[in-house]
Amino acid sequence: MAESTTRRGPGLNRIALYVALLLMVVVYLSPLESGIVTAFKTQQGFFETSPFAPALGEFTVDPWFEAFDRLRSGLVNSLLFTIPATVLSALFGSLAAYGLTNTDWKGQTFVLMLFIAGIFIPYQSVLVPLSQFWATIVNPAEIFAFSDPLANRSGLIALLVTHSAYGIPICTLLFRSHYKSIDTSMLEAARLDGAGIAKIYWRIILPLSIPMFVVTLIYQFTNIWNDLLFALVLVGNPANDVVTMELSALQGSMVGQYNLQMAGAFITALPTLLVYIIFGEQFAEGVAGGGA
Amino acid sequence: MAELQLDNVTKVFEDDDGEIVAVDDVSLDIDDEEFLVLVGPSGCGKSTTLRMIAGLESVTSGTIRLGDELINDKRPQNRDTAMVFQSYALYPHMTVRGNMAFGLEESTDMSDDEIDQRVTNTAEMMGIEELLDRKPGELSGGQQQRVALGRAIVREPAAFLMDEPLANLDAKLRAQMRTELQRLQEDLGVTTIYVTHDQTEAMTMGDRIAILNDGVLQQVGTPLECYHEPANQFVAGFIGEPSMNFFEMELEDGRLVGENFDYELTDEHREAIDGTERVVLGIRPEDIVVDNTDDDTHTYAVTIDVVEPKGDENNVHLTFDPDDEEPETFVATVGGMRRVSAGDRVDAEIPSEAIHLFDARTGDALHNRSMSTAEQSEFEF
Repeated sequence: MAESTTRRGPGLNRIALYVALLLMVVVYLSPLESGIVTAFKTQQGFFETSPFAPALGEFTVDPWFEAFDRLRSGLVNSLLFTIPATVLSALFGSLAAYGLTNTDWKGQTFVLMLFIAGIFIPYQSVLVPLSQFWATIVNPAEIFAFSDPLANRSGLIALLVTHSAYGIPICTLLFRSHYKSIDTSMLEAARLDGAGIAKIYWRIILPLSIPMFVVTLIYQFTNIWNDLLFALVLVGNPANDVVTMELSALQGSMVGQYNLQMAGAFITALPTLLVYIIFGEQFAEGVAGGGA
Repeated sequence: MAELQLDNVTKVFEDDDGEIVAVDDVSLDIDDEEFLVLVGPSGCGKSTTLRMIAGLESVTSGTIRLGDELINDKRPQNRDTAMVFQSYALYPHMTVRGNMAFGLEESTDMSDDEIDQRVTNTAEMMGIEELLDRKPGELSGGQQQRVALGRAIVREPAAFLMDEPLANLDAKLRAQMRTELQRLQEDLGVTTIYVTHDQTEAMTMGDRIAILNDGVLQQVGTPLECYHEPANQFVAGFIGEPSMNFFEMELEDGRLVGENFDYELTDEHREAIDGTERVVLGIRPEDIVVDNTDDDTHTYAVTIDVVEPKGDENNVHLTFDPDDEEPETFVATVGGMRRVSAGDRVDAEIPSEAIHLFDARTGDALHNRSMSTAEQSEFEF
C-alpha cells in the first residue's frame, strides 16, 4: 500500500503530515515565542508591536536583570526546601514501597490502602488544618529557637516537611510498581547469603531502583518547585518567600509590566527545565522499563 | 558437611478458602555427602519442602535437623545452606565476582583478600574465571547457571539445596550439566537435595530419590529400587519413560479378567494378591515382547496404532480394538532396527515374571517384577 501511494503522488501524505506537524509546533511554541520576545521588549515596545513580533527597535535585556534581581532570594528559598523535600519523599517512598512489596507481614494491604488514599487528598482540603498544625501544634520557630538561621526559616521548614510527606504516597506507588517486577528468588538468595532486610535494601533494591529514582526526582522536583498554594499559607515571613510567590508579586498593582513578568516566568521555570534536560534520558528509561 | 533429617515435617498454608496441606508428615534422612533427588509432579510439595529446609518457609509441625542441630526456627542466613534457584536469581547489577562474593561478605568475617582468593579459586574450578568481571546480563543461560552454582559452592555450606537448577537450559546443555553437577557434588562431598519434576534427572543423578505426590512421601530408594520395586502405582507410573502400562482387572477363579484380555496368574502372584478382588496389572513398555513370543498363555493378538521412532528404539502404541475412533492404547518399546508400521497385526506377550500388581483401591504394590531374569550383577541394592 505504501508503495502504490508513493508511486501515484510523490508524498501527498507526507506533505499533509508535515503541515500537521508544523501546525502543532506553532500551537505549542507560540506562547513561548511570544513570552520570549516580550521579555526582550521595552514597555514602550510591548505596547507598540504585536505580541508575536520580535523586538526590533525596542530591544532590551533589562527585564531579565530586573526579574532575576527580584526573584533571587525566592530562587534560593525555593531550592532550600525543594531539593531536600524531593530527595526525602523519593527516599521514603522507596523505603515504604520496599516494606510494602518485598516483605511479608500482616496488615500490609491496609497500610497500602492508606498510602493510596493519601494520593487523592487535594491540597485545598488540608489548608486549614495544615496552617493550624504548623502554627500551634508544631512550630518550627519554637523548636529551633536555639539556632537563629533555622528559626528564621520556619516557613521553609514547614514547606519542606509538608511536601516530603505529601509526596510519599505517589512515590511509594511508583516504586512499588517497579519492586513488584523484581525477582523474588533473587531476594531469597540474598537472605540465604546472609543479608538482613536493611542490607538487602541497601545492596540490592537501592542500586536496582536508580531509574525509578530519576523518575520520582523529576516528578517531585517539578511539583514542589511549582507549588504556590502551600507556600502562600505556610510562609509568613516575607524573607522566606519562595520563587512562585515572588513571581506572582512581579505582576505589580497598577500597570502590568509584561516584559518583566515574562522574563521572571522563564527564570522561574529554568530549574525544572534543567532537571528535565539533564535527566531526560534516564527519565524515559525509568518510565518505559523500570528495569536494571 | 552434615546429614539432614526431616521428621514428620508438615506445612499447612492458610488460604481464604481454608487450609491447604502442602507437605504432609514427611520424614526423610539424608546421609552426609548424599545426593538426594526430591521428585514429583508440579504442586506436589517438593519445592515447599526444600524452602522449609532453607528457612524461606516456616515449618507448621515436625523438625528439621542439619548435623544434629535443630534448625526449625533459625533464620535462613544462619542455617549454613546454599540454594540454587531455577531462575538463577543472580544480582543483575553486580559482576560475577560481586555475585559470588556477596554471601561471603554478608555472612563471614573474612577479609577482602581472602574472599577474593576463594572466589577466584571457585571460579577456576567451575571454569568461569574469565567471566568474573562481567555482569549476569552479558552471560548465556548456561554461563549464568554456572555462576549460580559457583555462588552456592563458594560459600562452602553444609548442604546444597537445588530447586530445578537445570530446568531453564536447553536439552543438550541440560544433559551435559547433569553429568557435571554429579561429578562436582561427588568431588565436593556436600550433602545435596535436588528438586526436580523430571524423572530422567531423578533417575540419572540421585544416590537416592524421594518421590512426593500431593505432599505425601511415596517412596525413598535408589533409582533402580524405585524403578523395579515401586511401592505403589503412583511411583510405578511416575518413574520411567515411557510410563508403565496399567490395566485394571478383576480377580476371578485365580486369574485376572480385564476388559480386553484375561491373564493367567502364577502361584506366586496369587499368594501376593491374597484375595484382593480389584487389581491393577502393570507392565513396563520394554518388558512387552512384540512377536517372537515364546509363552502362548500370556500372548495376545493386538494391532499397532501408532509408531514413534526414536532411532535406538521405537515406541509402539498397541491396541486391542483397532476399529475404535480413539482406541485405548498401551506402549511397548522395540528395537530401533525392527520394521513395524501402524496397522500391523502383531502378537504381544506380557511375560509373567515382569508384571507388577497393585491394589486397585489403595494403589499399593502387591507384587513387583521378579528380578530373576535381570542380570543381578548389574543391580546392587
